[in-house]
Amino acid sequence: MPLSHAFLVALERIVGAGGLVQSLEGRLVYECDMHTFYKGAPDAVALPRRAEEVVAIVNLCRHERVPIVPRGSGTGLIGGAMAPLGGVMIGTNRMDRILAIDLPNRCATVEPGLINLFLTRAVASQGYFFAPDPSSQMVSSIGGNVATNAGGPHCLKYGITTNHVLGLDLVTGAGELVRLGGAAIERPGYDLVGAAVGSEGTFGIVTAVTVRLLHAAEAVKTILASFTTIEDASEAVSAIIAAGIVPAALEMLDELMIRAINEGTGAGYPKDAAAVLLIELDGPAAEVEAQGERAARICWERGALEVRVAADDAERALLWKGRKEAAGAVGRLAPTYLLQDAVVPRSRLPAIMRELAAIGARHRVQIANVFHAGDGNLHPLILYDDRVPEELERAKAANEELLRACIAMGGTVTGEHGVGMDKAKNLPFQYADADLNFMYRLRRVFDPEGIMNPGKLLPSHPACGEGFRPARPRVPDGAWI
Amino acid sequence: MPVAARSIGEALVSIAGRQGVRDDAETLAAAAVDGLRPSWVVRPGSIDQLSGVLALAHDAALAVIPRGSGSALELGSPPARADLVVDLRGLDEVIEYNPADLTVTVQAGVSAGALAARLAPHRQWLALDPPGVAARTLGGIAATNASGPLRARYGTLRDLLLGVRFVQADGVVTWGGSKVVKSVSGYDVPKLMVGALGTLGVLAELTLRLHSRPDAESSWLVVLASPGEAQAFVERVIASPLQPSRIEIFNGEMLKLLSAPSSGAGVAVSIGSVAEAVREQGERLGAMAKIGRAQIAALPDEFWTAAESALTCPSGWTALHVVALADRLADTVGAIENAARTTAPRAEVRLSGCAALGTLRVLLGGASVAEIAAITTRVRHRIAAIGGSAVVARGTAELRKAVDPWGPIEPGSFALMRALRDEFDPRRVLNPGRYVGGL
Repeated sequence: MPLSHAFLVALERIVGAGGLVQSLEGRLVYECDMHTFYKGAPDAVALPRRAEEVVAIVNLCRHERVPIVPRGSGTGLIGGAMAPLGGVMIGTNRMDRILAIDLPNRCATVEPGLINLFLTRAVASQGYFFAPDPSSQMVSSIGGNVATNAGGPHCLKYGITTNHVLGLDLVTGAGELVRLGGAAIERPGYDLVGAAVGSEGTFGIVTAVTVRLLHAAEAVKTILASFTTIEDASEAVSAIIAAGIVPAALEMLDELMIRAINEGTGAGYPKDAAAVLLIELDGPAAEVEAQGERAARICWERGALEVRVAADDAERALLWKGRKEAAGAVGRLAPTYLLQDAVVPRSRLPAIMRELAAIGARHRVQIANVFHAGDGNLHPLILYDDRVPEELERAKAANEELLRACIAMGGTVTGEHGVGMDKAKNLPFQYADADLNFMYRLRRVFDPEGIMNPGKLLPSHPACGEGFRPARPRVPDGAWI
Repeated sequence: MPVAARSIGEALVSIAGRQGVRDDAETLAAAAVDGLRPSWVVRPGSIDQLSGVLALAHDAALAVIPRGSGSALELGSPPARADLVVDLRGLDEVIEYNPADLTVTVQAGVSAGALAARLAPHRQWLALDPPGVAARTLGGIAATNASGPLRARYGTLRDLLLGVRFVQADGVVTWGGSKVVKSVSGYDVPKLMVGALGTLGVLAELTLRLHSRPDAESSWLVVLASPGEAQAFVERVIASPLQPSRIEIFNGEMLKLLSAPSSGAGVAVSIGSVAEAVREQGERLGAMAKIGRAQIAALPDEFWTAAESALTCPSGWTALHVVALADRLADTVGAIENAARTTAPRAEVRLSGCAALGTLRVLLGGASVAEIAAITTRVRHRIAAIGGSAVVARGTAELRKAVDPWGPIEPGSFALMRALRDEFDPRRVLNPGRYVGGL
């Protein structure tokens, strides 16, 4: 339903002509995020500069029951920042200031549109950094990181975004600006910050974020080990963790991915390797030195073909180069792919890799794997040719089977990308009706009218818009009446 | 006894069995919460039974007080009503322990001590050490978000709870989170349950993140002239590459109790790592202490056992959980000691806290209800501007009636908290009146 002229005039009054995108070609820029499968252009895009403007936009939309879709840099991978029902998209790009840096208390307060890496750049000279490091960190916004509870290669040691958020200014779906949490590490009452991080814009829009800053590690050591089987590499991962080592990152590439990378960027991984393990340790120099030696020894003991230790930053960058370019390198193998983000318990890695191979064979699709082995977070890329309609169907079938296999092993459908449009339908694999019902009701507390990012994060229920109704236990009949 | 009451008793027996339901005078008197005697004490032996008990309580409009070991029953406002005490210690199974994944799933009534014994052979632990931890149930620790010195490195249960099964006020068994160390599938329900005092659901089963014990650990005590010097020392440590697992500040009274040299303040630091790194970081710590001309001494392994008992609130004393900021530590310590000195000159004040995070545990003895209430109010006033808080973690019912044990909550946040409570427990079955703002 197109927006009325009066509505657009009111919207322009709030954000000014320069803050409103109405043209078709302008709006098409916003029709999808990095998951280009899901498309839906908003009817208008508002680009506010201040929290008060956000409050005014939400209240305007609330009165007219117009859906709102928050958006940061649009680098999400889940079909979260697109408008399936049209409505108003609120882009936070012009709210990108650093509001306060408080090094004695190791925190900073920033606006949601600030680019992740810019915060680290602002404090790096004083020896600090912002830990969440999604691969998109050069372009993704901190507001988007908060919305999706983004992870990254180094969250094995440092945790995902939620572990680094102390406070939020949130404009709820009810149009109220509330300040949740803050620099003080806790306060009495429910952990509303913890509930709101990862809510993917369904509770409201964040207008300021207080995040933790960490002291940069004194030393970093990067080790690359290659193996002839994925089992050996997985066992090395388990042995490293069992030795009490918590690497900053522990990444694995499988055979197909190694081949694609070797052909693409010339990272020079051994040609007969079926698995490459990238281990990064950081911390006090003496600890990194001792644990690095131990990790390398473990790799040799588990039958590594080769173990390389980066001697300096340049070598370190080279070892990471292949990993960072993995998603691009598979372009050599197939025109496109479905990217998954499921997690299995780390000890089930060898089992899930065998299962993935079987699923690929069954559906006649190639699956390349690059993953965060340390926490069991898989990123299988299911390759297909989008010019052949039947291939997409096969890829989708493999995709669903893969998710179900991960859940059957005690895993989860998404480890760090989020749910969005893409995985809302998969949540019932993992949660019972009662669990989903709880989440529906939680959402309603923050967004009573259901205008915030509708259609995302939770599956729609065929029977009732209310959500899933759980069965209550039987109470002994009328015993007390 | 009225007929209706007897029928509820029978219904409870039909759910939890004769063994699981007590209504004798002695049991009920012992189970009283802030002087309110319940009509029944029920000890469910399974989550199904817990679910049945809550469904019955919900339909019969009974007030339920969930409890574990009972060590935190003096937290929060005195309950408005208490018909049924639900003792969760019957849910005492370790359901699944996966050493290779560093995860464990336990029922809520498992004590932290029992869990520690299961994990020890694998050199793993749940890195959490609130005073009296061994006897406390994991459900109780989660419901109260209790923590100790290890919080400096490992955080609280907020950071360690991966998944949670809980029973809602109407008896519906619900699961949130996941059983793996990394998940963003749906809302982060476990975070909402930590520290909620069971008011959004009674915790029944927890999946926890574990850590490997470090190869080696050593601790040192740095004795300083004043809280100000202690803060300066802590700031040097924070700004260094050192990674302490504990960095706990003590005031002079606490130092006495720990048989440490008499002085204005002390900071105990632990380093856990590989042996070489522990030794090397210890040397650096010594160098940092020298900058402030402070004394530093290595501590024996038993030190933290002694510290735990010193941190435990003696019977009849009051415990305040104060949260300020790291750079206001000395200021806050000064404010607390000053408030005590001027309000209650004979009071004894023991202070400790996670210096790097700006949290303080205040133990007050020898002061009247009115004096403690006045001290609490003054401290709150002093740290309000930085978003600080002071919660009465333990104190008499009289005190918790005289002063709001939670302190003020920002109105916008509180409106959402009340809406959550109204959504998930509109009849106020669970812990009525005990949580923030009388929720």
